[in-house]
Amino acid sequence: MPNVWIAGAGMTRFGKRQESLPDLVAEAARSALSRAQLETPDSIVVASMNPEEFIGEGNFASRIATHMGFAHVPALRVETATSSGAAAIYSGFAGVAAGLYRSVLVVGGEKMTHLPTPRVSELIGRSIDPHERSYGATMPALAGLVTRALMAATGVTLKEISQVSVKNHAHGALNPYAHFREPLSPDAVLESRIVADPLRLYHCCPISDGAAAVVLSADPSPVRIAGIGQGTDTLAVRYRESLVSFRATRAAARAAYAMAGFGAERVEVAEVHDAFSPFELMALEDLGLVPPGKAARATLSGETALDGRLPVNPSGGLKARGHPLAATGIAQVVELFWQLIGQAHGRQVTATVGLSHSIGGLATNNWVILLERVG
Amino acid sequence: MTEAIPASRCLRCGRVVAPPVPFCPDHPAPMEPVSIDGYGDVVSFTTLHSPPEGFRSPLHLALVALDGGARLFCHGAGTRGIRVGSRVAVEAVDQVYYFSHLGLLDRARLFWHRAGDRGETVAAIVKSAAKRIWRRGDGGGT
Repeated sequence: MPNVWIAGAGMTRFGKRQESLPDLVAEAARSALSRAQLETPDSIVVASMNPEEFIGEGNFASRIATHMGFAHVPALRVETATSSGAAAIYSGFAGVAAGLYRSVLVVGGEKMTHLPTPRVSELIGRSIDPHERSYGATMPALAGLVTRALMAATGVTLKEISQVSVKNHAHGALNPYAHFREPLSPDAVLESRIVADPLRLYHCCPISDGAAAVVLSADPSPVRIAGIGQGTDTLAVRYRESLVSFRATRAAARAAYAMAGFGAERVEVAEVHDAFSPFELMALEDLGLVPPGKAARATLSGETALDGRLPVNPSGGLKARGHPLAATGIAQVVELFWQLIGQAHGRQVTATVGLSHSIGGLATNNWVILLERVG
Repeated sequence: MTEAIPASRCLRCGRVVAPPVPFCPDHPAPMEPVSIDGYGDVVSFTTLHSPPEGFRSPLHLALVALDGGARLFCHGAGTRGIRVGSRVAVEAVDQVYYFSHLGLLDRARLFWHRAGDRGETVAAIVKSAAKRIWRRGDGGGT
C-alpha cells in the first residue's frame, strides 16, 4: 500500500464560540491547507455528527464545500457518532492509498453550546440503543454503569479515576486551543456534583464548539499515517459480555498495529478518548500501552503526564481541550502531528510515533490511528 | 411469582437476548423465541439525578444478568443494599422491568420454587438426611 502523508494540520480554539459551524470548519480547513501549501484539495471529507439537529443544516458536505469556494471539488460526509472525525480520516486515507486522489482535505466540526444541556444530552443520546434509551439511559448513565463495573472488577478507586481529570486539566492549561485552561485539584473533582453515580461532573468532558482539519497527501512529508484501524461492538450495551474492556478499542488497535507492522511498544505519545475519565484508564489497557491492571497506578505515578514515560493526552484530552464531537478524532491527530514535528509549543514531548484513539457512541465504532515521523 | 421474560436465542451460537429480536447481533442467523426466569445478578447500577425528560428523579438504573443468559436494563425503587453481583428479582410493571433485592427469605422461597418438578427428589434428600441424623442420634456414643 502506498504511503499516506499528513501535509498539513490545523484547528480552531475549542470552547464556546460565537462563529457559525461553517465558519469554524473553514477556519480549521484554511489553517491546514495553508500549512500544506495547497490552495485546492482533490477531494474533501467532512465530518459532523448531527448538524441537522444541532444547527438545522443538512447536505453538509456541499454546504462546507460551497462555503469555502470548493463547490467544484468532490465532497462527502462521514458519520460514526462521536468518532466521526477519525472515520473521516479513514475515508480520506483510503482515497489517497487507493490512488483515487493525490490530496484530501479532511475536516470535522460541531457546534453545540448554543443549545441547553438537556437538549445536547438528548441529541448525543440518540446514538444509544432505542430500548436502553427508553429506560432513560444517557451517555453519562452508561458511563456510570461502566465505571461502577470497572471499580468492582479491578479495585480502581474514584481517587485514581479523578487523577485522569487532574492530569488532563494540567495539560490543557498549556494548550492555547483548549476549552479549559485552568488546573483542577483532586478535591474539586471528588466534590463536584454527581452526574451518574459514581461519576462526578469533573469526570465528564464538556460540551464544546470547534473544528479541526488535516490535509492527507500522496506526496511525502515528514509525518505518515503508519496504521489505521476500526473496531466495532453491539449498539446495545446489554448484549456485551464485559463492561470493563471495550472490544471495539481492542479490535481497532489490533488492526492499526497490524497495518503499521509494529505494536504498542513503539508508541511514545497518545491521544485517547477520555469523554469520561475512567475511559482513559480502560483505553490504556485495551490499547496495550500499559500491562493489564496497571493503568491506575501508571496514572497516579505520573507515567502518563507530560514529563512521564508515555505522555497521554498532552493536548488536555476531551476533558480539557473539549469535545466538539466530530472535530475530536481529527483534533487528536492534529495534536500528534504538532508533537511529532516539534510544534506543540509549551507542551512539547519527544516522540517519533504517536497513537490516537477515538470512541464512537458507547464504544460501538472505535478507531485507532498510528502516526510516524519519518527521517 | 417468577416473572417470565420473553427473549430470543440464536440458533447458531445459542446467545440469548431480551427483549426478543429477529436476528442475532453477531450472526446473520434467525433467533427462536424463548422465555427466561426473572432472576439474576446485578452487573452494574447507577443513579441519575438529572434524568432525561419524562423520567422521575432520582432514576435508579441497573443492568441485570439473568440466569437464563440475557442481560436486561431495569429500573428500581432504590439502590440501598445493592452491589455488583447482588441477587435480584426482575418483574415487569406496565411493560417496564423493575429489579428488587432478594433477601434471605426470598432466596429460600426461590430455592423451593426452583425445586419445582424436582420437589420429590428434594423431599427425598431431606428425608434421608433427617434419617441419617436420627440414626446417628440413635446410636449415640458408638
